[in-house]
Amino acid sequence: MTKKKPVVFQIGWNACIHCGACVGVCPQEPGFISAFDTIAVNTPCDIACMACVEICPVSTISYENVPEPKQLSWE
Amino acid sequence: MEIMLSKTYDVVVIGSGPAGATTARVASNLGLKVLLVDKRQELGAPVQCSGAVSRHALEAVGIIADDEFVLENIFGFGIFNQNGEEKIIDYRKLKPEEYGNGEDQKPLGFVVDRRRFDRYLMTQAERAGAEVWLKTEALGYQTSIDGTCEVKLIHFNKNISIKTRVLVGADGLQSQVGKWAGLHTHIKLNELASCLQYVVDGVETDGLLEIITGQHWAPGGYAWVFPKGHGYAEIGLGVARTMTPHDARWHLDYFMKNSFFKERFQNARILEIQGGGVPLAAPLKTQFADNLVLVGDAARHVNPITGGGIHTAVQSGQIAANFLAELFESGQKPTKQNLKGYQDNWLAESGNLMWKLYHEKTAIFKNKDIDQRDDLLFKTMSDYFSPYSEYKKI
Repeated sequence: MTKKKPVVFQIGWNACIHCGACVGVCPQEPGFISAFDTIAVNTPCDIACMACVEICPVSTISYENVPEPKQLSWE
Repeated sequence: MEIMLSKTYDVVVIGSGPAGATTARVASNLGLKVLLVDKRQELGAPVQCSGAVSRHALEAVGIIADDEFVLENIFGFGIFNQNGEEKIIDYRKLKPEEYGNGEDQKPLGFVVDRRRFDRYLMTQAERAGAEVWLKTEALGYQTSIDGTCEVKLIHFNKNISIKTRVLVGADGLQSQVGKWAGLHTHIKLNELASCLQYVVDGVETDGLLEIITGQHWAPGGYAWVFPKGHGYAEIGLGVARTMTPHDARWHLDYFMKNSFFKERFQNARILEIQGGGVPLAAPLKTQFADNLVLVGDAARHVNPITGGGIHTAVQSGQIAANFLAELFESGQKPTKQNLKGYQDNWLAESGNLMWKLYHEKTAIFKNKDIDQRDDLLFKTMSDYFSPYSEYKKI
């Protein structure tokens, strides 16, 4: 099983209708929410199941991969 | 700075929707000390619901239809298959002496304005003696050794800690209260219908809730056209995102432009845009924990075939309030073991039938043959709304 890479969600607020569906399908710990009935934004999600992205009736949730920490090298 | 209130409540209800406000009202009427909180400044908004509810459902919990919230009276149903063939169940024709707009007649149900409906229910709870705080968000709770629990709230940026014997999670689809207790409240993607609706001008209706089935229009769900009062209508649909590459908005626009109703909809002017997730899921298996019970959407008390949730919400609120009053009266502590009785009462009164409906729904959508599935859904919906349905009261 491949471990999913953590992502950070963003919401296009112009299209968001604050319906709460994204939170309804979210398996994250309590508190992974914004003040506007949505999933948390700008917070890494290590589950990355994308259920919130899919359920959105107006397709206004996007995401980016969390940049991997740079490997330190001793060269 | 945190303010610790010395008063101990019997019941603190998180969320003043139909389930929470009914819990608070009934519990107050039974003499319990109740605090009802809601994070919003105005209840019911943004609207996430079509607002259809039967008259029977309201009367069963002591809610009397009021002009304050009723947008339109409903007298029956029109169920359509994917080709527009219809089955009309109009109680004005089935039982003309009983149903109609006449003085000695009654409606079968209503479409309500959720903003006004929720406010009305909150008012009734206040008049029954419940304290209500708006702009109050719950942040967490902790059980205490004395058998009560401590709830952390924030009210206009002020942190407040209060003691209560039982916390009632009525915080809806997005329930956090259940998660605090470690209950798995989130809904699987294939069991949450992704819904969008437009309140429109320029579309005629006739006192019927119209339901349009068929994979072609609403994969995994159905579309609806409801009367919305003032000559307005409400056109919406819900889809299972596991059954379509498109979102609900795409499907709704496609339905309005291409279906057998396209001429009827051609002058539709959008007045409001609303959406939501509607659980077409099984009820939550565990709806209680130490010092805690869940009601309404938070416990997934939603009809898994119709997605109707007002009836089930007010019903579970009443069951919870009655149960808690009896529990306190008997002198028992609100432990997990003792609160299981609430869920048992709920299962006996409606939950077991809801489970049966859930299995019916699951069987329909397990069928891989689209034509057969469409036929099954149309038949199930038509049977469901018939006057002879065994599910009449769900």
